[in-house]
Amino acid sequence: MSQAVTAAHASAIEALHTAYLAALDKGDMAAWAATFASNEASYFCISAENDRRGLPLALMYDDCRGRIDDRVSFVTKVWAGTYQPYRTRHFIQQLSMNVAGANQYRATSGFMIMMTPEGGATTILTSGEYRDLIDIQGEGDQCRAVFRERRTVYDADVLPRYIVFPF
Amino acid sequence: MSKYQAGTYTGEAPKVWPAKVNQIPKEIFGDAALFEEELKKIFYGDTWHVVGHTAEVPNIGDFKTFDLGRVPLLIARGKDNQVRVFFNSCTHRGNQLETSVSGNRKEFECPYHRWLFSLDGALAACPGSKEFAPDFKQENFGLVELKTDQYLGLILVTMGKNTPPLKEWLGDIVPLTLSALLGGDGRLKLLGYQKVRYVSNWKGYNDNDGYHGGLLHTAFRMLNFQGGSGSQPMSVNGHWVIEAELKPAQNSGFLNDPSLIDFKVADPKRGSLVVQLYPMTVMVKHMDVINLRFAIARSHDVTEVHYAYFAHEDDSEELVQHRIRQSSNLLGPCGMVSMEDAAVFQRIHIGNHTPGVAEFQKGVVSLSELSLDMKQSDETGNLPRWEHYRKVMGFKREGEQ
Ligand code: FES
Ligand SMILES: [Fe+2]
Repeated sequence: MSQAVTAAHASAIEALHTAYLAALDKGDMAAWAATFASNEASYFCISAENDRRGLPLALMYDDCRGRIDDRVSFVTKVWAGTYQPYRTRHFIQQLSMNVAGANQYRATSGFMIMMTPEGGATTILTSGEYRDLIDIQGEGDQCRAVFRERRTVYDADVLPRYIVFPF
Repeated sequence: MSKYQAGTYTGEAPKVWPAKVNQIPKEIFGDAALFEEELKKIFYGDTWHVVGHTAEVPNIGDFKTFDLGRVPLLIARGKDNQVRVFFNSCTHRGNQLETSVSGNRKEFECPYHRWLFSLDGALAACPGSKEFAPDFKQENFGLVELKTDQYLGLILVTMGKNTPPLKEWLGDIVPLTLSALLGGDGRLKLLGYQKVRYVSNWKGYNDNDGYHGGLLHTAFRMLNFQGGSGSQPMSVNGHWVIEAELKPAQNSGFLNDPSLIDFKVADPKRGSLVVQLYPMTVMVKHMDVINLRFAIARSHDVTEVHYAYFAHEDDSEELVQHRIRQSSNLLGPCGMVSMEDAAVFQRIHIGNHTPGVAEFQKGVVSLSELSLDMKQSDETGNLPRWEHYRKVMGFKREGEQ
């Protein structure tokens, strides 16, 4: 029994996706973290190989809100000045969306990330799939969507470089 | 002006290697012709190479593929529970046999003419063999196995004819630390991989992975990570072993989730264990992370590293969970501590395309003699390995006849 997605919820979810991509494409880690629920949220970034084989190890294993905030510090404080800068463009295509509970949806999307190292040509970083659990907060036209969980399963069996930013 | 010019290598050993033991000519990092020489003399030569751990293929029929230089390997666990390493090439016309990175099979079938190999490599079936050449004998066409040996589940292979026995090659300084790193008995459980390619020469990767003074790592400063006492013996054949105390870090609010740097079972006195086996394997036990780095020299410009993480078979579920959480975010190509190492692998490779030498300074006490022991935070630990490399490759030192 799958319920319909209300128009207000659908547009809130679309706005969430846009906010997520825009944050990363600007390299704005605080804005990235703000797309997750503020009390309890998780972000995983895991290879398709580990995912397929049921191996739990991830590239980024942020299973609590604290770790999401810590990832912001890694990028903005710990690693500042050490890595070779690169910019990204994220593209997504929604694949499915189902009601998971009251004001909650499970959604999957395909994604592709282009990367441009400073001074270099644009290539594909990886493609993959977002598997999301999305909460709707607030009512009616005022509602807002946040990620309760985002599980990013990336396709590359071998990544083409070391990674600074979340996918 | 230095006499070392970038990119002037011609396929022969450079005429001169610096006389000072603390200098490495940068021209050896960016040269395609030299890489071909290294494949022959090192990767297909008389030394052992780490290609995996038996915990990656825990069940009968499990396999993984890997490469030694450009040579494709197939590592499989047979019905007799033996783990064997074959050339991943059909013994008929040489077709690549297995295309998957890993999996489980009952047997390996080559699709070209349907030769069928059992898990132990024997040729089990080959359609139409009545019309094969007069000297064809099925039992002679099993998969070709590499010379293989194991140390606590660590799988090593060699293609050299005169490679010393593994025990001798590992020598005295390696086993004590390596066994501790592998959980004492090697009974490990695979947690997963992080796989990445670096635009870096394999020597540059190896020279800068493992251990270096902590100045690079801001996280160490922010967490007030204090290195304690430690020892760092090296061997003349290029191995390097590091044991260091890790005083528990003071979080002081920097991390919202300080469990990232918790010690659950590791003894802080031996908080950091690193074993670097010549030519390019780095293995680490840092806090509760057990990390074996299976590396592939793809070209003079590209090094691929499979960071494999493990738990111990006897771990409680809670401990396994802690290892997963610590392993994923601490080390590796996106780890809080070691993303910076990855950045250095690539930046140093760019910088090495300039004339001159790479200099080693901290801890160098003699310009003419190598020391096989060093203090915590010295950068001299790489030098015996460089000396071994120089000899294997036949580079002459300045002034040497
Ligand atoms: S090449 Fe494999 S069966 Fe012919
Ligand atoms: Fe480091």
